[in-house]
Amino acid sequence: MEYIDYYKVLEIKKDASTDDIKKAYRKLARKYHPDLNPNNDEANKKFQQINEANEVLSDAEKRKKYDRYGKDWQHADQFDAQQQQRQSQGRNRGGSGGFSGFGGDDFSDFFSSMFGGGGARSSSRSPFKGQDYSSELNLNLLDAYTTHKQTLTVNGKQVRITIPAGVENGQKIKLPGYGAPGPNNGPAGDLFISFNISEHPRFKRKGNDIHIQEEVDLYTAILGGEKIIETLNGKVKLTIPAGTQPDTTLRLKGKGFPVYKKENLFGDLYVKWQVKLPTKLNAQQKELFEQLSKL
Amino acid sequence: MEANLISVDDFCGHHQVEINFIKSLEEYGLIKTKLIKKAIFIKADDLTGLERYIRLYKELEINIEGLHAVSHLLNQLEFLQNKIAVLNNEISYYKQLH
Repeated sequence: MEYIDYYKVLEIKKDASTDDIKKAYRKLARKYHPDLNPNNDEANKKFQQINEANEVLSDAEKRKKYDRYGKDWQHADQFDAQQQQRQSQGRNRGGSGGFSGFGGDDFSDFFSSMFGGGGARSSSRSPFKGQDYSSELNLNLLDAYTTHKQTLTVNGKQVRITIPAGVENGQKIKLPGYGAPGPNNGPAGDLFISFNISEHPRFKRKGNDIHIQEEVDLYTAILGGEKIIETLNGKVKLTIPAGTQPDTTLRLKGKGFPVYKKENLFGDLYVKWQVKLPTKLNAQQKELFEQLSKL
Repeated sequence: MEANLISVDDFCGHHQVEINFIKSLEEYGLIKTKLIKKAIFIKADDLTGLERYIRLYKELEINIEGLHAVSHLLNQLEFLQNKIAVLNNEISYYKQLH
């Protein structure tokens, strides 16, 4: 445990008045407030330090104890015990032992050691909302197609979240209360998760619609036929009308991507036909094409 | 009424701020409100931002003009942080390739 010079933390002199302390605290709080320093752990730590320093120095009794023991704070309890022994004869035990109600998770070990214990909180401490955290989650398109659960590790804590189907690339969701704990018993910050959804080689997403390209041979394009294609939720048999032109696009209603947080609502699937021309014709095929061209 | 709207009267009562504070924020373009049957509402999606303004206003005593400047700078900060994250991702990607 390291000794913390609270005067140094607040950038004030040892003989600073209550007003000086207040001013210094306000000045530094403005600089390191979590709302002004998003995603900045360093600033968050500093903010907790200045809160702690203010907690001690703005309270006359705590300041007295801190000033008295200074770097020898580790022996503070021993000194107190010895002093109590000396003064115990003929006296009642007085008070509640002084500094109580501090040493929460947002204070240093040094503070907890010196002022630790349970009890009421000081009225001079104002609660602040904890810092918001943000995190990124990488998904592939098929992950984003179905509602599923994932576990994330954010600042060493495991957070299990449900990712609704249809989440978009770059979309941010907020998990209230999953951020840093609020200093001075304030509310915890929030966790913002943004999604990075990688592209799929076959299924191209545009909003809630999916676009794919399918090859069709020349003969089927000219004479018509059927083809089974893969969609995101299974195979579909499509009828190809005779005389289908290259780049003709077909729309399959409701076969696209799920609409975010709208149950049973889907975008459309667009299928673009790529007519594949035969190559390396044999003699007979070539002759037949020549005959066709002369008809 | 839209489900994701919150009455400004309720909001101000809960956070103990004057309705004029909300109006001033709107004048500075920091929030948007909706007027429905003479009652003012805010979108639930805008709550996080609005609560941040209130914290800065009450805890740090930053006035409306200051909030306007802070908001602008925070937007720039967010943009730059996102850009750094994207660039870091790209660097990691190319490092993996080599």
